[in-house]
Amino acid sequence: MRLQLVGCSHHNASLAIRERLAFSPQQARQALSALRERFPAAEAVLLSTCNRVELYTAAESEAASPSHQEVVHFLADFHRLDAAAIFDDVLERSGTDAVRHLFYVASSLDSMVMGEAQILGQVKQAYELATNCGAAGPLLHGAFQAALRVARRVASETTIHQRRTSVASVAVGDFARQIFERFEDKQVLVIGAGKMAEETMRYLSAEGARQMTVVNRSCERAEELAKAVSGQAEPWERLPDLLTAADLIVSTTGAGQPVVTLEMFRRIEPRRFQRPLAVIDLAVPRDFEPAIADCLGVYLYTIDDLSEVCRRNREARQKQWPAAESIIEEEAARFMSDLHHRATAPTIRRLRENYDTVKDDELTRLFNKLPELDGKAQTEIRQAFERLVGKLLHPPLQSIRDESQEGTPHGLLEALRRLFQLKD
Amino acid sequence: MLSGISLLCFTASYGVALALEVTRLMFRSGIRGAVMLLFATAGLVAHTLYLVAQAMATAPATLPLSSWYHWYLLAAWLLAVVYLYLTYYHPRNPIGLFLLPLVLLLIAAAYYVRNDAPPPAAQARTVWLWVHVLGFLLGTVTVFIGFATGVMYLTQSWRLKNKLPPSSRFKLPSLEWLQTATSRALLISMLLVGVGVIGGVVRNYLLLRSANGGLRWSDPTIWSSAVLLGWLVAAVAFNALYRPSREGRKVAYLTVASFGFLLLTLAVTLLLPEAHTKVGWRLEAEGWRQSVGWVLAPTEMNRQTTERVGTSTHPTISPCHCASVVRISPPTSDLRPPTLWRFP
Repeated sequence: MRLQLVGCSHHNASLAIRERLAFSPQQARQALSALRERFPAAEAVLLSTCNRVELYTAAESEAASPSHQEVVHFLADFHRLDAAAIFDDVLERSGTDAVRHLFYVASSLDSMVMGEAQILGQVKQAYELATNCGAAGPLLHGAFQAALRVARRVASETTIHQRRTSVASVAVGDFARQIFERFEDKQVLVIGAGKMAEETMRYLSAEGARQMTVVNRSCERAEELAKAVSGQAEPWERLPDLLTAADLIVSTTGAGQPVVTLEMFRRIEPRRFQRPLAVIDLAVPRDFEPAIADCLGVYLYTIDDLSEVCRRNREARQKQWPAAESIIEEEAARFMSDLHHRATAPTIRRLRENYDTVKDDELTRLFNKLPELDGKAQTEIRQAFERLVGKLLHPPLQSIRDESQEGTPHGLLEALRRLFQLKD
Repeated sequence: MLSGISLLCFTASYGVALALEVTRLMFRSGIRGAVMLLFATAGLVAHTLYLVAQAMATAPATLPLSSWYHWYLLAAWLLAVVYLYLTYYHPRNPIGLFLLPLVLLLIAAAYYVRNDAPPPAAQARTVWLWVHVLGFLLGTVTVFIGFATGVMYLTQSWRLKNKLPPSSRFKLPSLEWLQTATSRALLISMLLVGVGVIGGVVRNYLLLRSANGGLRWSDPTIWSSAVLLGWLVAAVAFNALYRPSREGRKVAYLTVASFGFLLLTLAVTLLLPEAHTKVGWRLEAEGWRQSVGWVLAPTEMNRQTTERVGTSTHPTISPCHCASVVRISPPTSDLRPPTLWRFP
């Protein structure tokens, strides 16, 4: 029995390599079919995301499983690449290491941003695709179902997924979300059109924001960004009016002086009627004068406030690492033990069949010799024989189970076959 | 079976639920939410059964659940229902930290007036009494809810002003949600308390018109209720006319102040419960003396003028009160002065 993973991730391969090895869903389907043709007895699941391309294979026997080199050649052939050129960028894991790696990936402990939620969905999709193509068999069914279970355990038993680590996500998810119940009916004003503004707007859009206005000294850039995030651009001169109407402001200009001074805010304040205002000032130097934070209904957060939360969240996630790791180790050990025990199933089945044959023969002979036995007596005798067989089989089966904890007990299985003359 | 349920049963259940809410601040747990809901639900079920048992025990001698004791327990029950509803739909928010102490406070108030006697069953005929009692009951519960959401708003606003990130151990609803809930609670409590006060005024006015007497308009509970209603009307008017008061912390301060006025009113009823209720019952009983009615009176009193028909089974009246249910036989002699109805 062999379970193996061959592939690359952001840890060991550059973006250029990952791009060349990446599979679209259509290509993944074709690749799985091609792999089945080349290795009919092997199972396969192909996981391809922007951060990793990993091909999981499994087979009941070593011979039926593709080797590391064969998988690399297969990947290279599929993408029309030189296998030697990519060989060093492709890693290989097998057995417990492969299972452990899969569990780490599904639990997002191997992700670029630890704890990000998308990877679990991507693992699920890869597994479903392989199942639909008929490429996944009992071994990979077991491995991927265990991986999904482990990911759920890590999510529920640790806080690793609960803390955001990017400034934009903390600004929107941790602070703005505490002020506003929904964003659909909120006026979002974005001052500046930098990259940070774009990222924050994308978060807001994902949270449901629909009324987003971009205002920038350069109208062109504002229009560009507004178009990209389905917002609208307004001229810089309208800033006071837009400040009055806004519920949430994201400011990211590169201005050397505050764009909104206390004096300016005091002028528009009466028109706001103390309506709550969330200001996310991501600019350095700051766009909003700090004293504005003391105004009624204003909740002002600067890049320092948010970065500090991000840092604490990253630390908190790191603290959760041992707990998550111990869940993965425990589950990997359990999975491998089950897998090894599964490998002993044919021998155990034959051993049990031998004992049952002897038992049935003896019972038949006994009942023929004692025809006066009624049905009740026969049932009692049959049950006694079954208990006897069970008790005789218990010690060897327990030994097999114990040995399976460490790996497939080949020596013990061979000994059983020879001692009890078990034939295939 | 119902008689086996005591005040302690559901108070303890709510207490455990509150203790579990407090542990949210200390550590994470996967099963705490379910256990907390289980205890709160068990408390509510026991609370409900207790009220049913009380209603069955007091009827028909008295109007079911009509004493101050029952009034406070009903208010606590309604608040517990609100707590369960909110916790079920917002399991991550520690709403119980704010609502359950109020539930326990109401139960404590009920315990304080446990020996207070209920009014006679004849009172059930008075629609305005029902309007008065129910209006005040629901209005009180709404003021309590407004107070809880107002305090949550102020806490959340303070946290956000101080840039404290959300904690998985203490995550309050958004300011927007809390502001909406607080504003609605203020308006609804004004309407309900208004209905309660109007019901009481009309009832008293009718009593006075029937020449059977009524409450003095200077009764402390009347003016304290009027002050509460006046404050609520002023707060709602302030809200409607002054736009900034609808936003932010002002509405939260208004609900907290409303709670203060409500406590004043309840304190008056707790300290002088008989001034408001028993005098009124006596006067109404007087009004119905041409008919047959049920009243409560000490056994040794009115012996010549009443025909004893049975001993009260009301569980909140201790044996020392020696209360018994008596039927006033028409025509009756003059009833004793108000002190007659003051139990020892």
